[in-house]
Amino acid sequence: MTDTDAGAGSEDDGQRSRRWRINEDWAATVVGLMLLALVLAGVVPEGLVP
Amino acid sequence: MSTPATPEGSAPAGTEPSDTSRATVAWTLAGLVVVLGLAALTRFLEQNVPDWSEGTALGEFAAGVEFPVYAIILGLLGNLVLSRAGVRDRLAAAFRTEFFIKTGLVLLGASINLAVLVEAAGPAIAQAFLLIVLVFGFTWWLGGRLGLNDKLRALLASAVSICGVSAAIAAAGAVQAKKEQLAYTASLVILFALPSIFLLPALAEGFGLAPQVAGAWIGGNIDTTAAVTAAGSLVGEEALQVAAIVKTTQNALMGVVAVALTAYFALRVERAPSAKGHALRSLWSRFPKFVLGFIAASIIASVYLNSVGADQGEAAIDVVNDLRTWFLILAFVSIGLEFRVAPLKEAGWRPIGLFASATVFNLLAGLGLASWLFANVSIT
Repeated sequence: MTDTDAGAGSEDDGQRSRRWRINEDWAATVVGLMLLALVLAGVVPEGLVP
Repeated sequence: MSTPATPEGSAPAGTEPSDTSRATVAWTLAGLVVVLGLAALTRFLEQNVPDWSEGTALGEFAAGVEFPVYAIILGLLGNLVLSRAGVRDRLAAAFRTEFFIKTGLVLLGASINLAVLVEAAGPAIAQAFLLIVLVFGFTWWLGGRLGLNDKLRALLASAVSICGVSAAIAAAGAVQAKKEQLAYTASLVILFALPSIFLLPALAEGFGLAPQVAGAWIGGNIDTTAAVTAAGSLVGEEALQVAAIVKTTQNALMGVVAVALTAYFALRVERAPSAKGHALRSLWSRFPKFVLGFIAASIIASVYLNSVGADQGEAAIDVVNDLRTWFLILAFVSIGLEFRVAPLKEAGWRPIGLFASATVFNLLAGLGLASWLFANVSIT
């Protein structure tokens, strides 16, 4: 979730949170679509995912 | 939910920076092993407990327990053990709930036919818009009556009316809230989301709601996207699809609310003129990009299914669904591992009372809107 250490500036925290969120959004999109492409291309066959 | 915790004591005085980074990488990898291990155990239990308990008094109950239940319980148990051992915060960089759930949702897009997405889009946008306006307005008003700080009101109202921790993070950036305010808003979201995962599917069954109405109710009400997916899974695949569409629509509207909050706090509360002229850039920077992946996956899978035979197409989508389940399990395990009680103890009763009241209001308004807007939506 979020760390609770106090003391850092709130603006920096907001910037950092936003940066992480945006990075994770793109990372999730790229990883999700890549996995989908691999499955549809037959690289990840049936039975490989437990 | 996504900001990694600062490792406790990870950089003792005199330690070289490269040693510190190596230690951080090692702890993160260890955290990843923990998450993957608990996820594998979840999958193992989900697949085997129904067989083991068949014919016993618990057989019927065990057959109905799905992976979110095992994943969250194992995550909470792992949380307890790691906290007692004093290593949880060092491992926390690997507990990437947001990444796991968003990847799972992109993969979920592949099992949603583009026609369903298009049909449900109108009611989903209408419901998300009305719920955000009503619930945000109610929470903001009640928070004012309870004398809460404006920034905390903004965080709580965003969290309960839009999409939980993601919205709280976006709102915290918009209003420049304190980190402690974000931490206990996030804890409140999880505290209320966990029982909702089980309560809403039970109520939906008790009320006899149609799958699409139950899905819309769940998607519009439960705050965290992960919990929406868990509750939707418990009701069934059709409800899960509608719940995901509704929640994804709310996620997409988060950017609009964040921009409005930025403008309101800059111009009305803090009276700084600098916020003007950045609305479009800000809207894009706060738009949840995984929504694009979700839609792209639906388009790609729909085109693929039209171009190959039914058997080949369904077999491929089954593999995608297995991958999706893995990412959702990783997300639920991470929710359990990340849960913190301390920020709630510090918050006092007023934010909790506000959140509880807003949740009840959200439940009632959401039930009315879902029944009205989704009664005639077809998902087959």
